[in-house]
Amino acid sequence: MSRVRFLLAFAAALAALWVAPLVLPIGDYTHNIVGLTFMFMAAALAWNWLGGYVGQISFGHAAMFGVGGFVAARIMLSSGLPFSVAWLLGGLAAGLFGLLWGHPTLRLRGPYFSIATIGVGEATRLVATYWSDFTGGSSGLSLPLAGNPTKYQLYWYGLYLLGGAVLISYGLARSRIGLGLSAIKEDVEAAGDLGVNPTLYQDIVLFLSGTMVGVCGGFYASYQAFIDPQDMFSFDRSIGLILMAVIGGIGTVLGPVWGAIVFVIIQEFLLANYSELYLGLYGALLILIILFEPLGLTGLVRRLHRLAIPVRRAT
Amino acid sequence: MNRSTVFVGVTVLLLTGCVPSKDTDDDSANTAIPDKIVIGSTLPLTGTESKTGGRFKQGYELAVEVENADGGIDLGGKKVPVQLNLLDDTTDQAKAVNLAQRLITQDKVNFFLGTYSTAVVEAQSTVAEQNQIPYVNGGGAATSIYAKGFKWVFGTLAPVANLANTEMQWIDQQQAAGALPKPARVAIVWENTSHGKDFRKGVQDFTAAHSSGYQVVTDESFALDGKDFSAILSKVRGAKADLLMIDAHLPDFITMQRQYLSSAMCTKVLTYGARGTESDARTALGAEGVNYILSAVWWNKQLGNAGLNKEFVDKFKAKYGTDPEWYQALGYEAARSLFTAIAQAGTVDKEQVRAKLSALTMDSILPGGKLSYPADKGGQADYPFVVQQNLPDGTSPIIYPADVANGKGVAPNPACKG
Amino acid sequence: MGEVVVLAVSAVLLAGFYAAMAYGLGLIYGVLRIVNLAHGGIIMASAYVTWQLFDRFAIDPFLAIPIVLVVFFAIGVGIYLGLVRFLPRGPAGAVQSLLLLFGVWLVIRNVAYLLFTGNEQVIHTGYATSSVRILGGSFSATRLAVFAVATVALFTLHLLLTRTYLGKAIRAVAQNPDSCTLAGINVERIYVFTFGLGTALAGLAGTLASTLFAFNPSFGASELLKSFVIIVLGGLGSIVGIALGALVLAFAEVFAVYAVPPYLTTAVGFVLLVVVLVLRPGGLFGQRVLR
Repeated sequence: MSRVRFLLAFAAALAALWVAPLVLPIGDYTHNIVGLTFMFMAAALAWNWLGGYVGQISFGHAAMFGVGGFVAARIMLSSGLPFSVAWLLGGLAAGLFGLLWGHPTLRLRGPYFSIATIGVGEATRLVATYWSDFTGGSSGLSLPLAGNPTKYQLYWYGLYLLGGAVLISYGLARSRIGLGLSAIKEDVEAAGDLGVNPTLYQDIVLFLSGTMVGVCGGFYASYQAFIDPQDMFSFDRSIGLILMAVIGGIGTVLGPVWGAIVFVIIQEFLLANYSELYLGLYGALLILIILFEPLGLTGLVRRLHRLAIPVRRAT
Repeated sequence: MNRSTVFVGVTVLLLTGCVPSKDTDDDSANTAIPDKIVIGSTLPLTGTESKTGGRFKQGYELAVEVENADGGIDLGGKKVPVQLNLLDDTTDQAKAVNLAQRLITQDKVNFFLGTYSTAVVEAQSTVAEQNQIPYVNGGGAATSIYAKGFKWVFGTLAPVANLANTEMQWIDQQQAAGALPKPARVAIVWENTSHGKDFRKGVQDFTAAHSSGYQVVTDESFALDGKDFSAILSKVRGAKADLLMIDAHLPDFITMQRQYLSSAMCTKVLTYGARGTESDARTALGAEGVNYILSAVWWNKQLGNAGLNKEFVDKFKAKYGTDPEWYQALGYEAARSLFTAIAQAGTVDKEQVRAKLSALTMDSILPGGKLSYPADKGGQADYPFVVQQNLPDGTSPIIYPADVANGKGVAPNPACKG
Repeated sequence: MGEVVVLAVSAVLLAGFYAAMAYGLGLIYGVLRIVNLAHGGIIMASAYVTWQLFDRFAIDPFLAIPIVLVVFFAIGVGIYLGLVRFLPRGPAGAVQSLLLLFGVWLVIRNVAYLLFTGNEQVIHTGYATSSVRILGGSFSATRLAVFAVATVALFTLHLLLTRTYLGKAIRAVAQNPDSCTLAGINVERIYVFTFGLGTALAGLAGTLASTLFAFNPSFGASELLKSFVIIVLGGLGSIVGIALGALVLAFAEVFAVYAVPPYLTTAVGFVLLVVVLVLRPGGLFGQRVLR
């Protein structure tokens, strides 16, 4: 897709989603869930910048989600700053935290990096639960209900988050940085020979990814109005981001968005009826995708597309 | 390039643009008598907490059935049946919040009965407060839930600090009778959850108020699902504690008690908070492994010899064929207190029912015999626990408070040598 | 002084369990370069199998070990032939195997949940709380038995890998699969066998865990995470390294109470993991290939 066509489609989709709740008769519940899903899409996209574009699978993104959420919550509790500023500051803190552990560990490749992120995620969860002066410890933090946007309004803020994440996803993939990232993904040493500085590029991506996930954490804090470390930093949260990206198509520009939709549909609709089966369902889905369509939904759609329009170009 | 810049510009404008807002539904006084009263609720019916969630469900459903047996709640002379709209929140905070939002704003339930486990209740109760709907729960004990100045949230579980406090009162009695040393050396070991924190606070408050009688020598927290407690137990041993006051959930209780026993430790008094009487514990540790462990719970069926308690236990047995435990009793009482407040208000108007809940004092099956939601405790009920002790004959009688005791406690632990 | 000795013995006993927990993960990684994220699920499944054998047929958990080894060897072979075989080799395969085996874990968890519900289960043997005196301290007989089994497993594995033709073939494949093919070793069969053996060892860990701890379908997560710490400390793929890594972790956790609050002792392991990966990716003892 050319840049202009992409931006046109993007603006149209954004506008349609912006007015949708005002003209369509969707209930409050669906409205809220969609708003929350926007946030998950943004977080999954951000995970994908590192996990998909660079191929560094992080099992520790909950750490940035939690740091962003708690910093934002602390700022909202202790100062009169508007929530959007608090989210941004929380995101920045999360991005910096990401750099703190990411700069040394991103030298590691493949499973070594993944294992290190598991260590980072778990250590952060334990320390955050212990550090009750900051996070409220195991009792968590409650946000004041006044001064926070309502769940109704958060729909649009979620949409903006998503819009920002999509633009960055697209920009990263199409920019010089994106080329450098795929070079790193293919072969780090060769990328270095080509004049790509792997350390710098990976640091930039992790900082962006951590900041976006941290802002999402702030959004989640406003949405829930109560956060506690065991929930914010949980291993399952990191896993959720991975599942969304993989289901939708790891490394593709928009795959995580579709993945998040499937993820939420499974949670909301199948879970309601077959709640005993949802874990296994995710598991089976993961197995099927890895074995048969490593690019997930995106790969599936591309394949169908090729079937429908057999010979058009030879790519 | 030009055009794309325009699009980016438009997007930025949109981003800075304002966000629509909506007037909250005007819930002006609704005094019409409806055909039925709909109570919304969520509980963890699957997942790790499913066992407990299922027990609360039994309590809620029994209360509804009893209420509907004579036609329902009396609203100004007309009997209106109660309908429970219960969903599964799988112990997931986000899910519990979203489902509550759906029940309240979309399904327009009249009132809400809360879910189980403290963190989930804490997250969910904010929804009730935002939407101004009476929210009664039997599953959230942490004092932090009730310390936020919420007006619409009521809790039937007394704080866990009371658990520690009631146990300490019994210990104090033993000390006064000369059975325990004075001052006694106290070790507090608590799981780092809000349950454990409140337990610790209860012990600390008591020992601070009776500083001549007690000296805290160890105070440590631990992470859930520990694999080895030898280091903590070694600290306790090194501190020569007389009273070992632990708060743990079942898996940690089992691991820790196995290590305590096999390392030949023996403190004069040992408690794991609410743990120790359940059949799982006896299976895991053997009858001898749980001897003389002190435990305290919110309710026990041994209270059920007369009056309301007998009524509850009989009805429960008739419906489910088993004996109730504290979970079912608390669910039952939470629901019953809500129904009582609705009947007192004589309407389904939320504000009026809230006011009645806030002023409520009703006869109850809970220890102390009365249930109320005192405003100075933020709407959390406040009553003593029942302290039990496992005895070698396999029974676990209530040993404290004296007015409900049906057995005599033993201290110091006779199994200890020297 | 006495307390330090008692703690040291506790740490050694704990290290026994930790080592047994990590053998399977380390072996599979060392030979196939695959991180078996289903490891925790296998441990949990084996705890349930052991419990069923104990509950229904009154088979003592320690006597059940041969049965468990056979059953989980077969399960491992099944997982390899049915799923893992189809993954591409190399870096792409490494990432995909993480996700695939994570999927397997989720399925195992769900099956356990459907069969046995989410309730805690325990195995109460007659000797669950009996104790043995060592060096002036009193220690759990069960923990001692677990340590003994882990030690026997260590020596058996070491002998298998160094003294038998099969073991030598496994080590050769671990070092260079391509030249093994040239030398006439059936690499695929070595992979099948190793995955089966690694899974059987995870099964062994599950049986041992079931004698010490209560378990439910989500059991195994912390075992998996700690196994990572151990194989990283030990240098990813060396059996003796794993035993040493387990010792380091156990001592760090037990003695950390002198430096940090007990609550944070678990975090010490994870911090160690990251630090060692960054500073000494070859492990504390500098071994990188399977020995």
